[in-house]
Amino acid sequence: MKNWKKILLGLVVIALAAACYGYYLYNKQPADVRKLPLDYELTATVLLEEFNKDETAANLKYLEKVIAVKGKVSEVKLEPSTGQATVILETGDPVASVTCSFYDDEVDAVKKLNKGEAVIIKGKCTGKLMDVILNKCSVEK
Amino acid sequence: MKKIILVISTMILIHTSFAQNRYFTKAGAVSFKAGTALEEIDGINKSATCIFDGTSGQIEFALLVKGFEFKRSLMQEHFNENYLESNKFPKSTFKGKISNIDKVNFQKDGNYIVNVKGILEIHGIKNEIETTGSFKVSGETVLSTAEFTIVLEDYKIDIPGVVKDKISKTANIKVTCSNTVLK
Repeated sequence: MKNWKKILLGLVVIALAAACYGYYLYNKQPADVRKLPLDYELTATVLLEEFNKDETAANLKYLEKVIAVKGKVSEVKLEPSTGQATVILETGDPVASVTCSFYDDEVDAVKKLNKGEAVIIKGKCTGKLMDVILNKCSVEK
Repeated sequence: MKKIILVISTMILIHTSFAQNRYFTKAGAVSFKAGTALEEIDGINKSATCIFDGTSGQIEFALLVKGFEFKRSLMQEHFNENYLESNKFPKSTFKGKISNIDKVNFQKDGNYIVNVKGILEIHGIKNEIETTGSFKVSGETVLSTAEFTIVLEDYKIDIPGVVKDKISKTANIKVTCSNTVLK
């Protein structure tokens, strides 16, 4: 009888722990990319070249990865209606660049950037459309 | 010689007049809501491309499915892995036409209601959709917005029984793109 009680108690504890873990997972917020370690560090030109050369291989390498991209600002776009900030980096390629969308609280840092300025932007690579796209970005330097 | 100059100058003229009629952005916002009273589910993509031609009314959108941002990481995981299968279908597109583009005066600031019809591709499935949107012209910028609802089943997005009460059978999609003249 005592054994039976012990087993039951054990099961209840396990169930509770599982429920807590489930609740924790359910409420877990996406990681803040700014706090994550870098997977890659490279220039906008090299990043685009790799995608142009072999998109499948580049996707395998860079998708969902945290990267720091170095490049020159070709355009800063601030959208008052949505509060969005976007920076487009030069790559030397006239038709494709690297597009970065930022965290909402990075907008002030983006506002300080000027066209032609050299920057390092950290973000997560989501793939290539026309440009290679990074989201959840922040201005590193 | 004169002929050549004439040909070249008309070509330049045609080219510039054509180019000035195209509006473009790489920073469009596309968001969706597919929650129920039990659960709030929404995602936003801030890097959609949009291009439209102010003369013909042709309009196109494209986005990367992996670019959607969520409030909870599990939602993002399920969205990419189970529902939209973003590894298999990385892009989502819309190609269509604005039927009343002639009603929009790009030279005059203001709000114009546009009717758009075209093919929406999500999860590798194409369906025709029709909706109304608005073009807010201010100088060389056109803020295009639209809102419409799709049925998830139409795009073969299967919601498992366990979460049926939490995920809506439809998704409300909102598009906000600030397009500028393509030079």
